[in-house]
Amino acid sequence: MPSEYAALVAALKLLTIPFAEYGWKSRPEGAYGVVQLDFEAGSLDGDGAKHDRAWEGSVDVFYPKLTDRDDIIDAVEETLATVLGNSWSLNSTQYESGTGLFHVEWVFQCMDTPEEPEPTPEGGGTDGVQTGS
Amino acid sequence: MAYKLEVDGMTEITRQLEAIADRAEAIASKALYDGAGLMAEEINKGAGQIKTAPFKYAGSGQTRLPSPEEKEIVEKAAAGIAKFDKEGGSVDTSVGFRNAGYADLNGKTVPIPKIVNAINSGTSFMNKQPFVRKAAKAATPKVLAAMQERIDAEIDAIGKEVK
Repeated sequence: MPSEYAALVAALKLLTIPFAEYGWKSRPEGAYGVVQLDFEAGSLDGDGAKHDRAWEGSVDVFYPKLTDRDDIIDAVEETLATVLGNSWSLNSTQYESGTGLFHVEWVFQCMDTPEEPEPTPEGGGTDGVQTGS
Repeated sequence: MAYKLEVDGMTEITRQLEAIADRAEAIASKALYDGAGLMAEEINKGAGQIKTAPFKYAGSGQTRLPSPEEKEIVEKAAAGIAKFDKEGGSVDTSVGFRNAGYADLNGKTVPIPKIVNAINSGTSFMNKQPFVRKAAKAATPKVLAAMQERIDAEIDAIGKEVK
């Protein structure tokens, strides 16, 4: 699981509305959210292997009353901005006439960057570097 | 000692460049038609991968998968290409299900864009399967390459035709 996605899920679960990953089997009463990774959106390759992998995912929020709108939307967007910076956008706003739920959908992209190994101080760290003259 | 420098073929190059400028919109339209067709094909391939389950009403608070009938409607409808918009020196179009029309589902007439949206974007009773976004993302490099190839071929043809 990409590290940024894990951070996003953890942050969203701290919000006042319940969040589930990859949809609910039986959904809760009132407002609720869904967060999921949709597909791999690209990668930076090097040394014959994928190095930095990018994923596209989405956050969906359903809420029953228009009066809840501002609080919920602000909270989700602040979370997205805190965790992912600028790499997200509002994708759609919809209304379900059958259930009377409002549905807002955001799309985001996140990275899975493997941690760089710590540089070892011994072992000729100055190879090829000439200092002085 | 004096040198004389001569360049041949400038008039030909000028004529060819003028011909390219005159036909720019037609070339762009041909390339866009190729690209949009490829994009629509990829989206329809994506529709083939929608996960389904036999239809049953989603009980209160429950979710269900799209039914095979719904999938069949989406596959049959197929993503289409919108009329080309040629204004302000650019040619634009959009690919999708916006004008896909209506279909009969369980004895009801349902707009096809609504079914596609429910599957692609999710609803309270159906978890999302974003096949359109996924196909569009994966196809973009292929589409751009196909359009570039078409533009290069058209310009080569002008180079041979206009002398």
